[in-house]
This record gives sequence, C-alpha cells and structure tokens, in this order.
Amino acid sequence: MTHITFEDVTWGYRTGEGRAVSNLDLEIESGSFVGITGPSDAGKSTFCRLIPGYVPHYFDGELEGSVRVGDRAVREASIGELAERVGMLFENPFDQLTGASTTVIEEVAFGLENLGLAREEIVERSVGSLRQVGIEELIDRNPQRLSGGQSQRVALASVLAMAPDVLVLDEPTSQLDPHGAEAVFEIVAGMKEQGYTVIVVSQRLDRLAPHLDRLLVMEDGEIAHDGAPEEVFTTPGIDAVVDVPQSVRIGRRLREVGHETDGAPLTVPAAIEELRPHVSDTSAGRADGGVTVPSSPEGREADGDPRVAFEEVAHVYEGGVEALSGVSLDMASGCVCLVGQNGAGKTTFVKHMNGLLEPSRGVVRVDGIETTDARVAQLARHVGLSFQNPDDQLFHDSVEAEVRYGPKNLKFDEERADETVERAIERLDLTDARDRNPYDLGMPRRKRVAVASVLAMDTETVVLDEPTGGQDAPGTALLGDAIEELVAEGKLVVVITHDVGFARRHADRVIALGQGEVLLDGNPREVFGNPETLAETDVDPPVVTRIGHELGLPTVLSIDELFEYVE
Amino acid sequence: MSDGATAGAGTTDVDVEALIENADGTDSLFEYRPGSSVLHRLNPVTKLVASGALILIAFLLPTFWGPLALTVGLFVLVATAGAGVARSVGTVLVAVGGPLALSLVLVQGLFYPQNETVLVSLAVPVIDRLAFYEEGIEFALLILFRLTVLMIALLGAIVTTHPKKLTVALMEKGVSNKIAYVFMAALQFIPQMQTRAKSILDAQQARGLDTSANLTSRVKSYVALMAPLLIGTLIATETRALALESRGFTRKGERTYLLDVADTGLDRAIRWLAGLALIAVIVWRLVL
Repeated sequence: MTHITFEDVTWGYRTGEGRAVSNLDLEIESGSFVGITGPSDAGKSTFCRLIPGYVPHYFDGELEGSVRVGDRAVREASIGELAERVGMLFENPFDQLTGASTTVIEEVAFGLENLGLAREEIVERSVGSLRQVGIEELIDRNPQRLSGGQSQRVALASVLAMAPDVLVLDEPTSQLDPHGAEAVFEIVAGMKEQGYTVIVVSQRLDRLAPHLDRLLVMEDGEIAHDGAPEEVFTTPGIDAVVDVPQSVRIGRRLREVGHETDGAPLTVPAAIEELRPHVSDTSAGRADGGVTVPSSPEGREADGDPRVAFEEVAHVYEGGVEALSGVSLDMASGCVCLVGQNGAGKTTFVKHMNGLLEPSRGVVRVDGIETTDARVAQLARHVGLSFQNPDDQLFHDSVEAEVRYGPKNLKFDEERADETVERAIERLDLTDARDRNPYDLGMPRRKRVAVASVLAMDTETVVLDEPTGGQDAPGTALLGDAIEELVAEGKLVVVITHDVGFARRHADRVIALGQGEVLLDGNPREVFGNPETLAETDVDPPVVTRIGHELGLPTVLSIDELFEYVE
Repeated sequence: MSDGATAGAGTTDVDVEALIENADGTDSLFEYRPGSSVLHRLNPVTKLVASGALILIAFLLPTFWGPLALTVGLFVLVATAGAGVARSVGTVLVAVGGPLALSLVLVQGLFYPQNETVLVSLAVPVIDRLAFYEEGIEFALLILFRLTVLMIALLGAIVTTHPKKLTVALMEKGVSNKIAYVFMAALQFIPQMQTRAKSILDAQQARGLDTSANLTSRVKSYVALMAPLLIGTLIATETRALALESRGFTRKGERTYLLDVADTGLDRAIRWLAGLALIAVIVWRLVL
C-alpha cells in the first residue's frame, strides 16, 4: 500500500499571485482517511493536485521540496504513471468527463482501455465500480445528459475503475443533496476499510468528520491544524475558520455549563448519549411545550398583497416528465427557503417566477402580472434569479462589468446603477476583486459574483438557487447577512438550499417540495417538526432539531433552545 | 447503496455491446439505428471501403444505367437492414433527392448545351412550346443517380455503424487514438453546446436581456451569448486535457477496447472485391 510524504513543499502558480501552498511537511499513512478543510483559496485544491502530479506536470509554476507517493517521486513520474496509483475526483464532475462517450459504460471503461487490459476485465471492472457507487442502472445513459449528482458518481466510478491505492476527492459532494452526500461518504469510508488511502476535501464536516482518522485545516496555503477531528474541533478559535459540526458544539456547550463529558461527539447518536443524562423531563418547568421559545425571526412575514402567487401550477417537460403538479401558494416578503431532494422540482418552481418556464396548467402572477403576458426581460425588473452554476451566468472580463450587466439592461440611470453595483459588490465582499476576471476567482467566490450581479438589479424579489453550496464558514455567514439585510429592506428572498442549518438560521418560512408537490409549508419550527413528512423528500431536520426529537423534546431550532432543557 | 462497500463485484454477465448499441440517442436522421443485419455486423472499415469504392465507381461510369443499377441495389440492401435504417435513408432520399431530381431534369432537360434530340414537346401557353431533350435528361439522370449512390452508400454506412465501433475498428487498423478521440468528441460537441447555450441564454434573460424586442437587441444578444460559450469551451478544453491525461490517454503501449469489432473472412472478401471492382472500372474507363 502507499504512503504519501510531503517534504517542505512550496508551490506558486505561474498565473497566480504569490504562493498557493507553502512549507507543507507531513506524512500520510497508508490506509488512513484524511479530511482537509479550511477557507476558500486556502490551497486545498493545490494540495490535492500535488498527489497525482497535476502539479507540477500539468500546471505551470515553481515547485520546491518533494512529494513522494509510495516509492515514486511525483516530480519524476508522469501523470499517466501516477494515475495507476492515485485517483483524483475533480471539484466539478463535468470537467472530468471525456466528452467522447455515448454511454456511461464507455466513460467508465475509457481509462481501462488505455491501460490495455483484457476485454473481460474491462467490462468486469467497469460494471463493478458502477455497482460500488450504486449507479448500475445508469450504465446505458448518455453521460452528457445526467444531473450534477449523477455525473459526480459517474466520475467517481471512472476513478475507482482504475483501481488506485490512493483516492483524492476534491469536494466530492458539491452537486449532491445531503442524502447523496452521505451515500458518497459511506462509499468512501468503505474504500478505507479495503485498505485505500483516502484524502477528502470538504466543507461538510457534519457528515464527513465521523469517518475521519485525521483532519487537516489549511489557511493561507499552510497547514494550520492537524490532528484527530476531536482535537481540531476543540482548538480555541477554530469556529472562525471551520464549520464545526453541531454535535461537537453541543458537546462543548455541555462542558461549558459544567458537565463532565468525553469531549467532542462527532456523530448525532454520540451527542444524544452525552446529553441524555442531563436533559430534564420535558414537562418539568416547560409546560408550554416550547411553543413560545423566543428565538428565530418567525412571523416576520408581512401581510398584504402577495408579490408572487402560484395558482394550481403544473409543469410538464418535453418528454412527459411532470416536474410540478398543482402547486398553489403566495409569497409576500421575508426569507422563504425551498428544501427537497434532487429532482423534487425546486429549480422548476423558481424558473416560473421570472417566466423562464411557463406553466403547463395554472397561473403564476408576479406583482400582479401574469408571467405568460410578459417577456422574461420585463419580469427581470421584478424578480432577480441567480442560478446554481455560476459559470453559465458570468460573461464579462471583470467582476464590476459583470455586476453592472443587469442594471445596464434594465436601463438604470448612471447614479442608480453606480449605487446598486457598489452596494452589491460590498455586500458580497468582492471589493478587492472588482477588477479581476471572474474566471480567475475560485468557485465559491465566482458564486458570490453571480449573486452580486443579481442583487445589483435591485428587484423586490430575489431568488437564489443553492447560494451556499461549496462556501466556507465565512462565505456562508456573509450570504446569510446579505439575505437578512434584503429582508430588512422589505424584500422577498427565495432561497433553494440543501443546507437545513442555513434554513434554520435565516428562514421565516420553509417550503418542502417532493415529487413536484408542496409537502410542507410553514415556519421553520412547523416544518422541521415534521421529520416523517420531510423524509419523503430525503430531507433531515437540522442536527440540533433531530437531537431534540430523539431526546423527546419539542422542536428546538438552536443550541440555545436545546440547552433550555439541559440541567 | 447499502452494498456500496462490497467492492470488486463478481463476474458480470453484462452484454456491453447490446447495451451501448441500444442506448437512447437524439433521434437525428444521421444517427445510429440499432439492428443485427449483415450490414450491421460488417466491420466498419469494410463499410467505409465498400461505400467509398461504390461512390467512385458511380462517378466513373459513363451513362446513368450503371449508377441507377447501383442505386436500386444499394437501396434494397439498406432496406433489408431494418425499418429504422430504411426510414432514415428513405427520408433523406426523398427530402434531398426529390427536389434535386426535379431541378436537374428541368434545368438540364431544357438547357443542357449538347441538347439535340427532342424527347417530349409540351404545348405551353405564352411561350408556345417547351421541348425536353434526350441528352439533357440522360445527363440529369447520370448526375442524379451518382448523387443517390453517394447518399445511400454513406448514409447506409453511417446509420448501421455505432460511432464507438467505428473508432475501435479504425484504431485497430492503426489510426491514432487521438484522431479517434477527436471524432467521438466532435459528435458529442453539438448537443453539449446546445445545452450550455440554453443555460446561458436563460441566465442573460433573467438579468434583463431582451431577446425578442427588436433586431438590434437580438443581434446583441447573440454576441453576448458567444462570449461565455467560447470562454466555457476553452476552459472545458483545458480541464479536459487533464481529465484525459489522468486516465492514461497519452500512455504509450498496447491498448484494448471495450468492444470487440470482428473482422471476418467476409469482410476481407468484400474489401478485396470492392478494390478489384474499382480498379477494373478505372482500367476500363482510362485505358480501354
């Protein structure tokens, strides 16, 4: 098996400013499962690229020090040679497709053909790795026509088929809903059991941490923390850089209030075990059952005319897939979070709000206008919509020009355009990047540029599709603050999100969609208090809520609320 | 996914060939139509060689009778290869061949420079008489049937050959894997671009780009579409090179293929025959 050694490694990209990583000096034991986390642009992807030799063989720059994979020095081996030992899953799965396959099996077999294996072995290994990631039924589908989550698994199967000893995964769950992410982490943890060395970059520590032997936190190109996850999470000040799992926060809080505990529970069951002895009987002292818990900003949604009204809206795509079936609801103001599994109809729903899709049945009204009576460009004055993939939305060579595109189309006068552009750039903390090309920024910042370019249109309704995907802890907080400000101005903000923690903190109203229908619609406490119905669309309530339910408490939405029941 | 960790998997009884061949396509007329006829089973290179030879022969033959016979023969052969194949070829023949026939017969029948013998003479008001000449009609038919041979031979080869099999056959005959890759990638490129163009257009409209107002803004919108489409393509090209490299694409040494493309005695016989027939016709036309 393969042991990885970094000896005083420093690297800067020729095109970039400064060093991407510096003074990396560590060993990764063969057969260990290592997580890497940290803020955006901290050098995590570069760290990954050093192992399969993409750095220095594919990217241009200066390499100091040495990286060894097993007995091979990365500097001396080619990418092709290293590929037999190290498999890497790219951040964007679409980038990893060969683009020359008509079916998934050809895609997975591509690397094996190049290795010159016998036909029977190619077939067996390809089918075996599809089975391993649970997508055998996609075998004859066209790889270009898969969803993000499906592509991510096809890419993973293609990597596994090459039978490497070392697996490097750069944000392997960026396109997946939480259940899909959990499934991928389980597969990967299974790989570790089989003796693979696994290195995973992720911001989703809630799901990843229980599997890890070791967690590295990178900051500014260096390894800032290195240790078992429990140790890293209990380092003072870690919250500023890392999204510490809720279960760990609960364990820490338990200690703060004076209880002796084991330390940092990484899983929900472990947190429950630590809490159980200290939880008071629900009836004692809290006869009201928690209904009056003073907390999250629920009830903020104003009465008055709805900005957006759906009446019996159904949408059937060409080919007969019914993505929405009879949705009726009104939205006026506040922050509305849409939750639901991949394919539940969330994106279809929001595309009806600015007329990109027209209802097959029913009516959608925006500020009183029927969407079928107006062009998308006219509705853009009322509804600003930012899509999930920023790369389909950015087409200027500077951040500022990008953000100004909307106001220019809407013919804002100079003064107003300057003002809205300025505010959007500031809100998303892009001031230092305003003259840079959006494509030179990392994915999380590109996403913020896409959001800023929609905010600059100053519409009364703002729709954001998965704004927090792939964001680090500060990025997520920034987006949360921006949304709170918009809501305070009286706007309607609709957010599609898989991040129930985000919904818990910011939503005034949560709508759960499943199979094109509204399953639940209410304030976060009502919706997250219904785990059985949420399960129909693969959504789990937030961790703290789940823990509360497990302990027989009423629906709690924050750790503060939970600790009202702790003695 | 519960059995996700049970790696490796035992022996598989998956018929990869059937799987790939019967996968859903885009339903374009020029796309592969699955089937199991002799034509489907021939080696793709044989089909290319044979259709090339037949097309050259059709263009070498001096009168329309030869190309006519080839057209009829080829059409019967293609029609036996299955309903899907016949429909593709038939549709193209009618859609392209029909208007072509009409215009050729009209133009050449009336105005061919060597026109001498009147074949039919029609009474037409205003211009009195309209004469169609034998020489012109014959020339029109010669051109027409040469072109129909070309259409049927090429289309027949294309729609009975899965592109993956074609690339495997070509690589086995010594074509480099880079050329084969470019061929496959080009086939996938257009649908990919269409999807991306649609997403970009959606995003631009959502930010107030009016694509249906007037001509100027429509032109502008296309310009605005091209930039991100090209940037995206360039970035994709760059990362794709890495994706290919990481799967050993540039590795030297023996390659194997997912599909087995048979090269039988029949294939060799057909290729020889096609070559000999072509040489015979060349000798006849140029030497004798």
